[in-house]
Amino acid sequence: MTITKRLGIGYAIMAATCLCLLAWLGYHEFVAEKAAFAARGVSDLHEDTSAEFSTVFFLGLVPVMLGLGWLWTRHVLAPLGALTRAAEQIESNNLRMPLPRSMNDDEVGKLNAVFSAMTTRLDESFQQIREFTLHASHELKTPLTVMRAQLETVLRENQSLPGTQTEWIRGQIDEVNRLAKIVDSLTLLTKADAGLVTLERKPVRFDELVQEAFEDALVLAHPQHLQVTLDECAGVLLTGDRHRLRQMLLILADNAVKYNCPGGGIHIALRELGDVAELEITNDGDTISPETQRRLFNRFARGENATQKAEGCGLGLTIAQWIVHAHGGNIELRSDAEKKTSALVRLPLASKT
Amino acid sequence: MAVRILIVEDDKKTANFIAKALMEEGFAVDIMHDGDDALAAIKITPFDAVVLDIMLIGRDGLSVLKQMRAHGVQTPVLLLSARGELNERVEGLNAGADDYLPKPFALEELTARVRALARRGGDVKTPILQIGDLTLDTISRLAERGGRRIELTTREYRLLEFLMRSAGRVCSRMMILEKVWDYHFDPGSNVVDVYIGKLREKIDADCGVKLLHSVRGEGYVMKEAR
Repeated sequence: MTITKRLGIGYAIMAATCLCLLAWLGYHEFVAEKAAFAARGVSDLHEDTSAEFSTVFFLGLVPVMLGLGWLWTRHVLAPLGALTRAAEQIESNNLRMPLPRSMNDDEVGKLNAVFSAMTTRLDESFQQIREFTLHASHELKTPLTVMRAQLETVLRENQSLPGTQTEWIRGQIDEVNRLAKIVDSLTLLTKADAGLVTLERKPVRFDELVQEAFEDALVLAHPQHLQVTLDECAGVLLTGDRHRLRQMLLILADNAVKYNCPGGGIHIALRELGDVAELEITNDGDTISPETQRRLFNRFARGENATQKAEGCGLGLTIAQWIVHAHGGNIELRSDAEKKTSALVRLPLASKT
Repeated sequence: MAVRILIVEDDKKTANFIAKALMEEGFAVDIMHDGDDALAAIKITPFDAVVLDIMLIGRDGLSVLKQMRAHGVQTPVLLLSARGELNERVEGLNAGADDYLPKPFALEELTARVRALARRGGDVKTPILQIGDLTLDTISRLAERGGRRIELTTREYRLLEFLMRSAGRVCSRMMILEKVWDYHFDPGSNVVDVYIGKLREKIDADCGVKLLHSVRGEGYVMKEAR
């Protein structure tokens, strides 16, 4: 219960008590006594009217004062409410948003000042992180470029290297590429956090993209003999960034292939439900526990049994989630008892206007 | 006359190995490390292509690019960048770059792209492409080999058109992904190789002369084998 409400109830109870007292006194003074005098046949109304009147007047003033007090309390606590609403709006990318200031130097004002100082410090540290990752991207890529070129030169200039050494060097090149990919993904996510990535907002026929993703999944799944089906593909129009949506689809399709069991299947369905498009990509694979399902969207999170076989970098789902959120949708993973796991994406349809 | 390429790259090691790789391809190469010097040189020297890094000493690469385009210099530019993400690529191409290569890159990738850029001037867009007895009509989208019709899916057609337009030049997987799939990110899969396999079955099967060739570690090329 809020402080305002508690005080309000307190005031109301006090006011009600006073009113009851007043009513009783009024009844006693004006009705009962008058009746008593009338019964005795005496007209004695002038006896002590002024004293009684002032008692009633002051007693009547009490509820009025209490009411005013309650309004005053509300007024004093109002900045707290504003601060709460402002704090609710704060996220990592709008820490510089000015907080409402209370005009006087009271406790609420001090709270405001402390809060502002805290968000400023937070903003500075966020800013440092962003700059660090952006520079890191450049500083890491330069040596990686040199390393890759040197490894390739070794391969090209020594055609007679034993097979094991060639394999070893190719392995190094693969690792260099993987590092580069991690750097790229981290840079993207950092920029996205900082609100520095702008997405296109254009009409996109999402079903066409899903159809393409299905064809790519067919090809990707071929070496592992996985069955890929497109069960439903409703024609849906979204507003968004075509390239990003394709990137998201490819991440999900690639995951469905990578984390599948031999001879398993992949089922893709795109449905229109009210004003959202629902995409479901289901694959056969190990069941994922509910805690892991949520954790998998975190950076560098990997499933319990995924680490050995797949060569991902643990950022794919984070990027997919960012893309879905940036389009105003949501994404979740679901596992059922039959060892089927689905990625479920819901995206708002383009408005009909 | 040798094709002349300018490399603008602030990291000396990187600049040197790019130069070495391009010289091995028979290009004449100049190296510069500073953006302002590079801009001055580009304005007065008719290079055939420029390999331009975005992070430079002095003026940065994007600024060099915008200035030279504003100055009316149409020399093809290949941008190199430490940032491989979609947005940076779009930004680079919008600034007037002809191609974009994120670091770290394969040297073959770089040389293939520079070769494509340096020869860009000679490309003519003809409606009917031909290599040996294979023809592709880009208007009716019909492919024929030795008079035999070849049925192609949309993607196979786009792949064939791209390869035939680049006839004689090696196309890397990355270039194919960009031009045919319009993927400006690494999908981390062998989707190109699988499609090439399918296309090869359709155009080269039962034919004595193979037209679609793999170049190990580099990519694919279409040509009449000698």
